[in-house]
Amino acid sequence: MAAMMPSASMANDYDNDALERDLIDPDDATLDDLDDPIQGTSDRAPLTGNIGSRSGASTQSYLTSAVGGEDRRAPTNTIDETVWETLSRDLLAIWEKLKQVLWPKYLLGGIMQRGGGIGAAERGEADGVGGGLGGLAGRWPDADVILQGGMSEGLRDWDLWGPLIFCLLLSLFLSRGAKDDQKDFVFSGIFAMVWLGEAVVTMQIKLLGGNIAFFQSVSIIGYTLFPLVIASALSATGIVPMLVRIPVYLVLIAWSLAAGISIMGGSGVVRNRVGIAVYPLFVFYIALGCICFIS
Amino acid sequence: METAQQTPAPGSLSWRLSSHPITLLTYLFFRISSLLTYLFGLRLFTSNFVLIFIITILLLATDFYYLKNIAGRRLVGLRWWNEVDTASGDSRWVFESADPESREQNATDKRFFWIALYAQPVLWVLLAVVALLSFEPIWLTLVAIALVLTLTNALAYSRCDKFSHATGFASNAMYGSGLARNLASGMVSNWFSRGGR
Repeated sequence: MAAMMPSASMANDYDNDALERDLIDPDDATLDDLDDPIQGTSDRAPLTGNIGSRSGASTQSYLTSAVGGEDRRAPTNTIDETVWETLSRDLLAIWEKLKQVLWPKYLLGGIMQRGGGIGAAERGEADGVGGGLGGLAGRWPDADVILQGGMSEGLRDWDLWGPLIFCLLLSLFLSRGAKDDQKDFVFSGIFAMVWLGEAVVTMQIKLLGGNIAFFQSVSIIGYTLFPLVIASALSATGIVPMLVRIPVYLVLIAWSLAAGISIMGGSGVVRNRVGIAVYPLFVFYIALGCICFIS
Repeated sequence: METAQQTPAPGSLSWRLSSHPITLLTYLFFRISSLLTYLFGLRLFTSNFVLIFIITILLLATDFYYLKNIAGRRLVGLRWWNEVDTASGDSRWVFESADPESREQNATDKRFFWIALYAQPVLWVLLAVVALLSFEPIWLTLVAIALVLTLTNALAYSRCDKFSHATGFASNAMYGSGLARNLASGMVSNWFSRGGR
């Protein structure tokens, strides 16, 4: 039946064509119009191709809309790989994402052209502390430039291992400093706050039209908590005196923020809304940093 | 007589009949251990909430990962994941299924897998009700996370199974050109979607 369809519609088309050609005044006909056999064969190729691709498209749209998915067999077969292959691939992916946080390369490549992650953090800190509100306002165009870049491939396949581990560590370290009878509440409170914060920031970016998937953004924000985990660990061990904490923690917060802005690179937030999109992230990091500071 | 009793009927729930006994046992261990940790931590040694919480969460996450990436494809030949289109930021589900001809499915593995897959969310729902009724909001966080993780896996695998049946049926029914096969799978898919709604 599939084989019949092209020829049937072919014949139909051909009949229409012939009818129309009959109606045309012969005086108007050019040499091209009269070239019947060649036109016939050139018509056939696109017609059959069309039917083939149409059926493919309908399958495809079913697969993505009705049940919402796509079935794959041959092209990327991971069904028969060994356990070790699976584990090493995922561990490498986690390391790849962590590297992007340790080294905010979009910031470095786009603006600074120098230094490591700490350098970027110091620069961010200088911006945030130096000018107050004016400094903040002056920073957004920079973020603007960064956000024009594309998202790296390594961040495409998200996972929630980083957010989970960092969130657990953060809650654990912060609850160490609490009184004995409040430990449980501090722990679960921080744990819930981190996840809710990630969700709220992500929702805000989504609502502003950023083309990033929900869990992808949660994953990225979770990975950027790494510097704050260092801050909470410093608080828990108590090796840093209170006065030294302020600059150190500001550096760590700025590092988180720099990594967050740099990795969100491809989220495609509209140019004049970048400030609004990044601001909740800033508040989120500041809040966690303050909790680290007082604990 | 004795040996006949020793060897159970094919497909019954005995791990000796499994073709991947280590995978199966590890899978069942992760599935059960998170529940047990939660239950014992909640009822017997509630002194260290933080420790129990962390252990349970890590066990749940490991269970999720193990089921999604290793147990699923080794026991029933199915796998799912979520892919993000970097251009538009849309995420979509991708389902993978082993070719039924090249791969022998073990009935025992299959039963164990599906029973454990669907039993886990039900048990966590029960625990959620218990936690609600006994006013332990602090544990609800944990139960909610457990529910999200186990339900995601259960839904994704049931979808994945549906997909593998649809494409498997289509390719068995029509061994023709790629075009005929495409049409057939499209048609079968339509029946399925109509039945699903």
